[in-house]
Amino acid sequence: MKVIACYSMKGGVGKTATAVNLAYWAAKSGLKTLLIDLDPQGASSFYFRIKPSSKKWAKRFFNAYENLVKHIKASDFENLDIIPAHLSFRNFDTLLAGFKKRKNRLKRVLKGFNKEYDLVILDCPPSISYLSESIFIASNLVLVPVIPTPLSERTFEQLMAFFEENDYPQNKIVPFFSMVQGQKSLHKATMEAMSARYKMFLNTIIPYSSDIEKMGVHKAPVDVFAKSQQANYAYIKLWKEVSETARKCG
Amino acid sequence: MNSLPENTWELNEVARNTDILSEISSEFDIEANPGTTSNLQFYDDFDSHLWKANYLLCQVNKQQFQLIDPSGCIGEVGASSGARFWWEFSGNQVKDKLQSLVGLRAVLPIASINLLETDFSLRNDDQKIVVRGRLTQTMVGNKIGLYLTLQALRGYAKYYTRAAQLLRHFIKAEINHFGLRFLLMVQGIQALEPKQGALLSLTEDMRTEQAVRAMATAMLVQTKLYVGGVIADTDTEFLHQFRVNVRKLRSLISLLKQALPTSMLDTLKPRLSSIAGKTNKLRDLDVFILAQDSYRAMLPANFESGLNELYRLIEKQRKQEKNKVAKYLSSTEYRNDVATCAAELSQSSAFQTPMASKPVLQAVKKLLLKRYHKMLAMSAAINSQSADEKIHELRIEFKKLRYLIEFFVDLLPKKRTGKIVSEIKKIQTVLGNYNDYCIQIEFLNSYIDDTRIEMSKALSGLIAILYRKKTEERPKVEGALADFFTENMTIEFDLVFEAAETGDSE
Repeated sequence: MKVIACYSMKGGVGKTATAVNLAYWAAKSGLKTLLIDLDPQGASSFYFRIKPSSKKWAKRFFNAYENLVKHIKASDFENLDIIPAHLSFRNFDTLLAGFKKRKNRLKRVLKGFNKEYDLVILDCPPSISYLSESIFIASNLVLVPVIPTPLSERTFEQLMAFFEENDYPQNKIVPFFSMVQGQKSLHKATMEAMSARYKMFLNTIIPYSSDIEKMGVHKAPVDVFAKSQQANYAYIKLWKEVSETARKCG
Repeated sequence: MNSLPENTWELNEVARNTDILSEISSEFDIEANPGTTSNLQFYDDFDSHLWKANYLLCQVNKQQFQLIDPSGCIGEVGASSGARFWWEFSGNQVKDKLQSLVGLRAVLPIASINLLETDFSLRNDDQKIVVRGRLTQTMVGNKIGLYLTLQALRGYAKYYTRAAQLLRHFIKAEINHFGLRFLLMVQGIQALEPKQGALLSLTEDMRTEQAVRAMATAMLVQTKLYVGGVIADTDTEFLHQFRVNVRKLRSLISLLKQALPTSMLDTLKPRLSSIAGKTNKLRDLDVFILAQDSYRAMLPANFESGLNELYRLIEKQRKQEKNKVAKYLSSTEYRNDVATCAAELSQSSAFQTPMASKPVLQAVKKLLLKRYHKMLAMSAAINSQSADEKIHELRIEFKKLRYLIEFFVDLLPKKRTGKIVSEIKKIQTVLGNYNDYCIQIEFLNSYIDDTRIEMSKALSGLIAILYRKKTEERPKVEGALADFFTENMTIEFDLVFEAAETGDSE
């Protein structure tokens, strides 16, 4: 079982859209896939029309895998299950602060899914916190959408530095350009500069697209309502590249 | 993790798809796919090997077949619509499986089902799919079956329960294991019924003549089952099984002749011998054709044209011989012979001989011991110089000994008899291999023809190879005899078949 986190400490970069569409394509490719929505806003659960549980259960999240199993819900798509977010997930950091060996907590609970799933995708909240560190340890790949602007570049540099300072393997970080507007010279220039500086950028570029925004209207992955659109092809390509990268990471 | 509920129910005959979907739409949004129709044709061999092993071979369209096991379709392969044998299907996995399941048997259509399947999903207020379902309509002749399957989705079990509740008044019965196998069972396919005649329940104190008459009658009935397949030339196993059953019947009569009146022996023996004899040649030709691959592998490529000529000749002869046998089995002569035998067997027991009225178990045990000691003596006379005929005679004796045990196996101590039978089987394999080489050499020799040079060269090549194999096999015969006729085996025979009180107490 592989764990892929869709992560950025910056909000609004396309993490959830990435998590939703990758989970969809992974499942379609035959992998038993579990998408865990860790972001208390619950956007990826919303895209799959799944309501969170009425009970606050964040407290039990890191105790044992059995607690998570109870909250699994089938999506409308074969091979794809989801653990929807709950608003109480906003307290994850406070909860983790109270645990010993907090950084390994997430990895430990996810281990339980090993038999049932081939892939776990984590849709992460935008922060850098105890939860983020648990995510870095639990994941095989940390997929980082980067809007090619100076601010995003700075955020990405901060992430790289954080990994270095804390001795997390930087080769887990897999960035790709997201919400790219090809006609903007700033986007082009930033992409060129960052690609030259960071060789680990994926080749796939996710364009800025109204079809991706419409996911909220259709409450579905792009393929369901915009099959022949550029955005859909971009996610198919991204899934191929990510799955190949995940395969190589052992 | 608990498995999710999935259930299928048979619905009332009057229920219609629209009624069901309309009922459920009171609480759910329904998304129904257009129904898909399919006509499935199922195949199996005469002995229902696929069915018995939990497999189904299903023709889904003109040239596509699916092999299905309880977990689902294990392979969809192409084959012409007239395909009957495993080697006529494509796809190694399916071919291998069919070979292991049906062997040389032909698969023939046994049943067909017309299916109309309508899949639907139920959505809740959030437009999330919460239950999946299928309506299955089957048509066999004029009979229509209607089934509803509901499947719960993880995290949404309460909706499944509600949907089932809403539809409860359409439900006739719950089906435990719904699927194609169930639908075939509902049809009561005659081709899948057991082929064996009425099972005999022998008792140890039954009088021997009575027991033999009853068994022989059942065997005669059994032989008749294969006649149709031989005449239609469905596969070579029909003739083989026909011959096996005639052989067993002849053995039974011969082994227990002391319990039968002379008039009966005079009626049965020549007739059964004639029936068996009429099919010898066809079986020999079948065996040679079935072994074609191994014969071809024995010779280098330059013998190919000679072998091709030989096989063309054999195929031609087989065709003629098959017609001859089919004609014979359809003849009044054959029918009269069988009817005469059946009538003779159905006569009341005459009890003309001392053995006739003895309890059958006692008679059989005595016979088994007698035959064993006779074989022991025959075996002692065999050495490396003994003629092939002597080995052949002993091989026949082993065959009869095993038949005698197997005929009465229900009356004999199970475990110990089973061990003896397994030892007999081992030696039969060795003796059988040796005999096969002898027979094959003789068979091939009969085709040597000076006017067909290439063919005769190939024949000589095969004979030389088979002769070498036969020579290599010969020392194994003495070895196998020594392994079988041990002091322990003699003691075991004496114990199992002599002492009446010896049972399965070990």
